[in-house]
Amino acid sequence: MRNASWIRDYVALAVILAGLILLFGALSGRFLTPATFGAIANRIPTLTLVATGMTLVLIIGGIDLSVGSVLALAGAVLGVALTDWQWPFFACVALAVLVGLSAGAANGLIIVGARVPPFIVTLGMLEIARGLAYLTTNSQTKYLGAAVEGLARPITGLGLSYAFVLALLVVVAAQVLLNCLVLGRRMVAVGANEQAARLAGVDPRPVKFTGYALAGALVGLGALCNVARLGASDPNAGVGLELSAIAAAVIGGTSLMGGRGSVIKTFFGVLIIATLEAGLAQVGASEPVKRLVTGLVIIIAVVADAWRQRAAGKSFPLFARLLGKTINPNSNHPR
Amino acid sequence: MKVMIPSASLRNIVFVVALLTLALGLTACNREKSNEGSSQPRVALIMKSLANEFFLTMADGARKHQAAHRDQYELIVNGIKNETDLAEQVGLVEQMVAQQVNAIVIAPADSKALVPALKRAKAAGVLVVNIDNKLDAGALMEADLSVPFVGPDNRAGARLVGEVVAGKLTAGDKVAIIEGVPTAFNGQQRRAGFEDAMRTAGMNIVSVQSGYWEMDRANNVATALLSEHPDLKAILCGNDSMALGAVAAVQAAGRTGKVLVAGFDNIAAVKPMLADGRVVATADQHADKLAVFGIEAALKILRGEAAPADQTTAVDLVTR
Repeated sequence: MRNASWIRDYVALAVILAGLILLFGALSGRFLTPATFGAIANRIPTLTLVATGMTLVLIIGGIDLSVGSVLALAGAVLGVALTDWQWPFFACVALAVLVGLSAGAANGLIIVGARVPPFIVTLGMLEIARGLAYLTTNSQTKYLGAAVEGLARPITGLGLSYAFVLALLVVVAAQVLLNCLVLGRRMVAVGANEQAARLAGVDPRPVKFTGYALAGALVGLGALCNVARLGASDPNAGVGLELSAIAAAVIGGTSLMGGRGSVIKTFFGVLIIATLEAGLAQVGASEPVKRLVTGLVIIIAVVADAWRQRAAGKSFPLFARLLGKTINPNSNHPR
Repeated sequence: MKVMIPSASLRNIVFVVALLTLALGLTACNREKSNEGSSQPRVALIMKSLANEFFLTMADGARKHQAAHRDQYELIVNGIKNETDLAEQVGLVEQMVAQQVNAIVIAPADSKALVPALKRAKAAGVLVVNIDNKLDAGALMEADLSVPFVGPDNRAGARLVGEVVAGKLTAGDKVAIIEGVPTAFNGQQRRAGFEDAMRTAGMNIVSVQSGYWEMDRANNVATALLSEHPDLKAILCGNDSMALGAVAAVQAAGRTGKVLVAGFDNIAAVKPMLADGRVVATADQHADKLAVFGIEAALKILRGEAAPADQTTAVDLVTR
């Protein structure tokens, strides 16, 4: 058995996060303030929701490169529905989620139905959704203002926005899905070894389809948070978001081969990326330095995770078993 | 005779040639429809990303102008997918030369990298007019090439915007600049214009960072700047999209009215913010006319009515 202890996994991620916070605290006199952490909390809902969906897709052994474009499309449709069509707010929200869900379902249907690699299908969707976002808005940024901004405003007395609370609830729900529900366990099984899952009587097709569709719906929710934070819908939004989402998932120990991953740890990945970005901007780091440091932290976090996995398997198997299992035992994971 | 299995590279070439033939065929069909084989000059307008509202406005302005002057010239409009995709734009220049257009009016995606391709175009007898983003003087000199530039003075425009902001502050106040893509000439010019105005008025520029012309990235940078500098008085942004991002950050920090925001381009989405003062100033460089100015200059040069020389077009300050 190669089960890493879940406590040590969180400790490692928390150490990296704390290290970054202390580092920026030392570099900037104003980093360790409630304002900074409030700002970080209020900027991460979008990435959190998208990275949660990405984690689900990675766990089933897939990938979704279209998330950034679909985010822009769902945001664009939300903006047009709100301003041009004058739809009520909640109808617009439902529409945005539906747009994301449809894009994800289309991805899943083609990947499962035509048995083609998800990399290519979602790359195609990346182009299609971006094109549709430009068509929907006629390439114009739409100013929405007060109609959506409330969602991103801090709740009085709590200091955190509705969007943040929503993202947190989704993270918890997705973790419960993976750990406790039949569908989630099947997703892990299919991702770890599709053949074995099939022989055990699990049809991988509906499981995979649901994974992509869920991820799409979460991108739709992410679009809502992004539009709310900026008070505007921008057809150029989310360029490169897929890479941030994959980075967050991988920093959190999700395997790109499928079958292993945790949404809560992905959330730590999001926190690390957001802290890094906020801190680097706050200390006024130059553009090349920002990129160098971000790349280095991603690699260090992933190397630390790989090292931890191995160390857990070799040195502390009993310790690991006593403390409990990771979310996804990967004992039958093909390496 | 031996039958050879085509190598991968040969297959690629065949594929590209087939695609190009198709593309040429399609444009030829379009041309025939719009025009009955006359000997009018043919002008190719090569833009940056047409997904960008600003460049789309430019291209639409050019199309309208051509529609109104159908008897004077033919127009072929092309844009690239991504603002930083140089290879695609170089390919477009080569394609237009192969189509034997009379003039190329180009908004270069990079002020240096396009110079060799434009030199080849000129050698092939095509008139080249530079709009929007000015080609680098050093690179032009090195290539021994002269290309007339028809466009706005971004530095002067940004200085006007900066002066409005400075007029609302007192000397010594802290300000920050969020610039566009650091390698783009117009971005550098706007930053320089902002800096000119701030230095003249004795402001303290505490930070200059890039928002890559994007709302989202500018929002993140502005948020961090606001936490780092509680006494920040103004954020000057290289374009209006980034100004929108900065406004959202100022609102989220609860400092509306205490931190001034300025932009550039005067896009539609910024109008309500100018009205209630969340954005204090922007600059209008008449996007719908920019390409038209370049096309008109090209036509005049082609007809021998004007010598190829630089022309500065108007940039207007907008505060309401």
